[in-house]
Amino acid sequence: MNLPGVLDDLRKIVGRDAVLDRPEDMMLYEYDAGVRRSTPGAVVFPQNTQQVSEIMRLASTNHIPVVGRGAGTGLSGGAISQAGGLVIAFSRMNRILEVDVENARAVVQPGVVNLQLSEHVSHLGLYFAPDPSSQKACTIGGNVAENSGGPHTLLHGVTVNHVTGVEVVLPSGEIVHFGGKAAESYGYDLTGFFVGSEGTVGITTAITVKLLRKAEQVATLLAVFESVDDAARTVSAITAVGITPAALEMLDGWTLRTIEAFCHAGFPLDAGAVLLIELEGLREAVEEQAVAVSEVCMRQKAREVRRAKTEDERALLWKGRKMAFAALGRVSPSYYTQDGVVPRSQIPGVLQHIGEVAKKYDLIIGNVFHAGDGNLHPLILFDMRNAEQYKMVLAASRDILQYCIDVGGSITGEHGVGMEKRDMMRQLFTDEELDVMISLRNAFNGDEVLNPEKMLPMPRMCREIMGASQNAVLAQEGM
Amino acid sequence: MTTATTPARFARELREICGAGYVIEDPAKLEQAQILGVTPAVAIEPASVEEVAAVFFFANVNGLNVVPAGGFTQQQTGNTPDKIDVLLYTTRLTDVEHYDPGDLTIGIGAGWTIAQLSSKVGADGLLFAGDAPIPERATVGGLLATGMTGPLRHGYGGLRDYCIGIKFVTGDGRKGKGGGRVVKNVAGFDMMKLLIGSQGTLAIITGASFKLFPAPRQTRTFVAEFATAAEAVRYRNAVLSSPLSPMCLELVSPQAGALLPAGPAGKAWAVHLRATGSDAVLARYRTELGAAISFTIDGHNEHEVWRAIEDFSNTLPERNPGSVLISLSLPLAEVLPVLNELESVAASNELTYAVVGTVGVGRLLVGLWPTGAPANLGAAVSAFRERLPRDASASILHCPKELRRQAAAWAKTPTHSDSMKAIKHALDAKDILNRGRFLF
Repeated sequence: MNLPGVLDDLRKIVGRDAVLDRPEDMMLYEYDAGVRRSTPGAVVFPQNTQQVSEIMRLASTNHIPVVGRGAGTGLSGGAISQAGGLVIAFSRMNRILEVDVENARAVVQPGVVNLQLSEHVSHLGLYFAPDPSSQKACTIGGNVAENSGGPHTLLHGVTVNHVTGVEVVLPSGEIVHFGGKAAESYGYDLTGFFVGSEGTVGITTAITVKLLRKAEQVATLLAVFESVDDAARTVSAITAVGITPAALEMLDGWTLRTIEAFCHAGFPLDAGAVLLIELEGLREAVEEQAVAVSEVCMRQKAREVRRAKTEDERALLWKGRKMAFAALGRVSPSYYTQDGVVPRSQIPGVLQHIGEVAKKYDLIIGNVFHAGDGNLHPLILFDMRNAEQYKMVLAASRDILQYCIDVGGSITGEHGVGMEKRDMMRQLFTDEELDVMISLRNAFNGDEVLNPEKMLPMPRMCREIMGASQNAVLAQEGM
Repeated sequence: MTTATTPARFARELREICGAGYVIEDPAKLEQAQILGVTPAVAIEPASVEEVAAVFFFANVNGLNVVPAGGFTQQQTGNTPDKIDVLLYTTRLTDVEHYDPGDLTIGIGAGWTIAQLSSKVGADGLLFAGDAPIPERATVGGLLATGMTGPLRHGYGGLRDYCIGIKFVTGDGRKGKGGGRVVKNVAGFDMMKLLIGSQGTLAIITGASFKLFPAPRQTRTFVAEFATAAEAVRYRNAVLSSPLSPMCLELVSPQAGALLPAGPAGKAWAVHLRATGSDAVLARYRTELGAAISFTIDGHNEHEVWRAIEDFSNTLPERNPGSVLISLSLPLAEVLPVLNELESVAASNELTYAVVGTVGVGRLLVGLWPTGAPANLGAAVSAFRERLPRDASASILHCPKELRRQAAAWAKTPTHSDSMKAIKHALDAKDILNRGRFLF
């Protein structure tokens, strides 16, 4: 790797003001919203696809590790560079290239902020469905890399369900296209494969996304429970009556009190837990569902079910939900967010386990999560300056994720594997299963120039995963 | 008709892997399993992932061409295989890995038929949204490999939206997995997306997990008829811009309507809209759709009509063996221009055409056949393909034997070809799976 040696070449590609390499500048790019840090050697700001192509060609030729970066709001270290590597930052590729109402599509550059797209098409009655809590800052390029979700993915799906085409720069610098504006494309679904590949296959420079029509009616309910357990059991009771809410979020008592002190969202201070439930669709259907959901909640021992009466009330409840992470900044110097997933029916059990983990490691753990999807976000409070406590946090985190795996779940629902959970992939996949994924990555990024040491653990020798008899046959065949 | 020659020792090795009772060498039975006129040298029915992996390993070492098979409902799709050394049935892969109705998910083996799966979850008030043609024979593995779902695509999304986990054996014999049994999961590459629609050329799918949906408690179908395709597409646009969210929205051309069992079809362009909900919700549909509605269908007739629409891709070639059947995926705004091109190509080549399409997502099934005297069908299809817009995808689901060799040239996709080849090479470097039948 010889990054300093190619800085002049980079400046020729993008202009002198579009390359940073001073140590004080690098400090701004050494972290994301998670806990890991690593300082890059330079940051480059391309303005178009051709420049990205030339940067990639230069980096590949010189074996310089590269990572794409949007707003740095990720929680798994996906956008953090290898030490001394090159960051391609997309803040100057932030244009909405096309809004195609007839086809219900938009084509955007990767640096477009998630919420900005919905605001841009709002007057047309359209919006972009994936809505991560960080949607005011996070970029669509980052959403694509991590296959991001959000509260409303319960009904509408995650990012991959809303991307139909991508323009991609491969590590070689070649510019290619997967899919387009059609809902599906013939051949291998490389668009679907690319979304969520965590920057290890290529770098996207233009994304074709679906625009959805806003629902006629939205009902937002706040169901208040005395205990976490009652709220947890209500989640599968709602789906059991044949209703799929647009969003079904849960906040435990400790978390909602912390949020309330921060932004006065209207959460009840004495509750054990609340469910924030949103229903959307045709007016008649939503009204019927609101009644049915309220009845289910009351049967499951809800103390009360409130319905937001105005758009302002609704917005305030969602502000409270989406500001949860920010609210924690008032009460703890650091926090660690996990992203485990369990089958819906396992939510009561996993919340109980998280409570036991908190006691075992003497930590405060709040819960605010996408209950309808079984996607947990335990928030573990700690002080980064306390090395011993940090070790405890990592151990507690592994403990929770192992429980998720043991009950049939996963280690990440929407944040990505990145750096932090890479080693836990071996608990979820066999060596042979990982080997298949590694061979796919290597088909595009064999030298690991792009986002090295992310998502997939180090490969083991193929011979280790083959049975003895198979090895014998291979030897016999001279393979 | 060609028959591959397979040395007896291959069958012997395969018997050791799968058991003697599950290696089919009877010429009469193999004859029945021919694909586009090519008879397999041997057919096998492995019972486990391990057996499939062992067969693949053996096939790699010996350079055999393996063709996967489920219920044999879509084997006419794709190019004619040069030979079939081993036909591998997935019918014995019928485990249930997980099923909890409360989770609205199920994980099952690839050998389950769609009818069995629908019946199992239906008993718990749930719906499996993969409405394959000929569900009594179509299997889960085949459904995923071909991506051939029906009208429910409009309201419930495609397989890529509700297949949440997949297990498979790659062409080079590795046991792989993607996703899992939870509805939200981004750990590792999305192998589901890669294998759905890959036509059995990357791996054999051995099992999959799906999201399920609450089954609709009542439905009603509102049919609107129009004199022209343009009016029908305008109506589609009005529905898509309305607050309505129907479970199905299907365009049926006049000739396609003649294949449907109910209603005064066969003369007009019809749009069948299927809605679900309470009486109040269905009444709202009636109000919103207003005077456009020609008639409504419910009960048994409704079931029969939708079954006929689902089976269009099967019924049309049965009725017109000389037809070409093309599957198209288009941006929404391209549907009408493509229908106009179809009309023009058909008129100038003395062809008749029939169209059934999930038009709310831009998917069309187009059948073309000579109106009277033998016509140059191949040239007409080539001309039609040339006029397709940039982002269109096209594939041939059925065509007469004499046009088979041209069928590959008719396929079209906006996706980068060399990247697809790289994927193929990464999972099936020796090209043992469905060799020559798909893209390369």
